[in-house]
Amino acid sequence: LLKRDDWLDLARELDWEFSYVSEREVFPEAVSGKPWLPGEQWRGWDEPYRTTYTEYVTTQSAKEASVHAVRAAVGGIEDFQKLDPSWINALKLHSAALPLAEFAAVIGNLRAARFGRDSAWRTMATFGALDEFRHTQIPLLIMHELLRWDAQFDWTHKFFHTDNWVAIAGRHLVDELLIASHPIEFSIATHFVFETGFTNLQFIGLSSMAHAVGDRMFETMIKSIQTDEARHAQIGYPVLAKLCAHDPERAQYLVDKWFWRSWLFFSIVTGFCMDYLTPLKQRTQSFREFVQEWVIDQFERSLTQFGLKRPWYWPQFLSALENYHHMVYASAYTYRATTWFNFSLPGPEERAWLKQKYPQSWPHYEAVWDRITARWQQSGPGVEWYTHGATPVTFCHLCQFVLCGGSPEHNTAQVVTHGDRKYVFCSEPCRWIFEREPERYAHHKDVVMRILTGEMPGNLMELLARFGLTRATWGKDVASGQYPWLAVTADEKH
Amino acid sequence: MLIPVFGFLKGDTIGLVVLVHDTDRIKDLAISLQEAAAVRVAPSEQVIVYAQGVSLDPELTIAQAGITALDRVDVVKVDA
Repeated sequence: LLKRDDWLDLARELDWEFSYVSEREVFPEAVSGKPWLPGEQWRGWDEPYRTTYTEYVTTQSAKEASVHAVRAAVGGIEDFQKLDPSWINALKLHSAALPLAEFAAVIGNLRAARFGRDSAWRTMATFGALDEFRHTQIPLLIMHELLRWDAQFDWTHKFFHTDNWVAIAGRHLVDELLIASHPIEFSIATHFVFETGFTNLQFIGLSSMAHAVGDRMFETMIKSIQTDEARHAQIGYPVLAKLCAHDPERAQYLVDKWFWRSWLFFSIVTGFCMDYLTPLKQRTQSFREFVQEWVIDQFERSLTQFGLKRPWYWPQFLSALENYHHMVYASAYTYRATTWFNFSLPGPEERAWLKQKYPQSWPHYEAVWDRITARWQQSGPGVEWYTHGATPVTFCHLCQFVLCGGSPEHNTAQVVTHGDRKYVFCSEPCRWIFEREPERYAHHKDVVMRILTGEMPGNLMELLARFGLTRATWGKDVASGQYPWLAVTADEKH
Repeated sequence: MLIPVFGFLKGDTIGLVVLVHDTDRIKDLAISLQEAAAVRVAPSEQVIVYAQGVSLDPELTIAQAGITALDRVDVVKVDA
C-alpha cells in the first residue's frame, strides 16, 4: 500500500497523452487561456495543501456541523435583534455583495476543473467549486431566517438579480472576474489577488469586528468560509509562477488590473463596514490600518517573490486608501434610498476617531458632514428627504461605481473620446484598464447612459422602483436622524 | 437643445449629471450644479466655472462656451 503522500501525487496527477484528438483541441486557447503552453510545460504544478477527497469531505463536514451548532445556539432573529442597528446594516451590505458572487465563483472554478492545464490544478479547482457552493448556501440560509424580521435581508439573494446601481457595478466585476475569464486569468485575478489579498480583509478583518460587537453567528460563518478560501487561494501561486516564467508582462498586467478592480469593490464593501457601520466602541482598527496589514504588506511580499513590481498606480492607490470609501460613503449617505441597507450618520465622536485615523484626508470631509448634520437639525428627525439628493449622479464606464475618485478638493474623473463616443472614468487606473481592452468594455452601458437612452427612468422615485426598491426596503438613516448628540447640539444652538 | 454634462463642485464628494440647454448661460449651469449638490455643499454666489482647465465667462451661453454633451465642467467657489 502506498503512503498517503505518494498515493496523493499519483492520484491527483492523472494526466495522459491524447491519441485521437490534439492537446489544443482538448484545451482550446480561448477557454483554457493565454499563453497556451504544451502540457509538459505545466508539469510539476504544485500547491501546498495537497488534500484528498476523503480528507476534504471529512473536514468540510466538521466545519458544517460547527456552523450549524452555532446557528442553533445564536443564529435566531432574537439574537440578531440584540445587536447594534448599525452593525445589522454591515451584515446586509456583506450578505448582498458576497454570497451570489461566491456562486459565480463556482462557475470559474468548474471551468478550471475542466480546462485548467494540469490535473493537480483541476483537482484543486473541483474542491474550490465545492467550497464556493458552501459559501453561497451558508449566508443564504442564515439571512433567510432574518427575512421575517427585516425585509432588507431579502437582498441577500435578490441583489445580483436587480438593476440596482451597486448590483450593476458588482455584476460588471463578478461577471468578468468569475464567469467570463479563462482559468489562467481567473486563477490570478481570483485566487492570487481577490482571495489572497482582499477576502482576508473582509473575512478576517470583519470577523474580528463581529467578535467585538458580539455577533457570534457572523463571526463563525465568515471564519469557517475563510478556512476554505485560504486553501483554494493557493491555486493562484503556481499558476502565476508559470505565467511569470513565460509571459511576465502579461502577469504584471493581470495583477495590476485585478488589484485595482478588487480594491474598488472592497473599499466600498469593507470600508463602509469598518469605518462607519461598526459601532465606534467595537472598532479594533481603521479600514486603512487593516488594508496596510492584510493587503499591502502581504501583497508586496508576494510581488517580490514573483519578481513583479508594484502596480504603476501605487501613489493613486495610497491616495485612494485615504479617500475613496469616505467619498463614496458621504455620497451614498445622501442617496441612501438607492440602496437596500441603512446608513449611520457619523457623530462628533465618530468624526473625532476618523480624524485621528485619517489625519491627512479627513479634514476635507468635515464641511460635508457639517452640512448634512445642519440639514438634519433644520428638518428634525424623520425627514429623510431633506438630507437626500435627487439629481442623477455619475458613474465610471469601467468600474460602474460612482465618480468618487480623488478627494473633495479634486475629483479625478476623466472624460475620454473613444471611437465616436465619450466615456468617463473615475480614475486614471480605470481609464488605463479600459484602454488596454476597449473591445471588452466599450459596449457596456452605465446607469447614466441607460437613463439618457430611455432604458431607465430619470425621475428618482421611478428609478428606485427600477432598482427593485420599495418604501419598506430602500435605505434610510439608521436612526431616522434621532441621534442624542444631534438633539443636544440643536438645543445648544437655540 | 438639452445637453447632459458631468458637473463637479469643488468640496463635493461626487460628480453629478446636470442637464442644461445650449442657450443657458454658464452662470445658470453653476446654479443648477450647486442646487443639485446643496445637500452636501453650501451654495455660494461667487463661483468660477472651468472646462478643460479654462475659466469661462459666466455670461456666455453653453453653446458659445463650446460645451457639448458629456463634457466635464468644474465649479469652484471663489473663496475655496
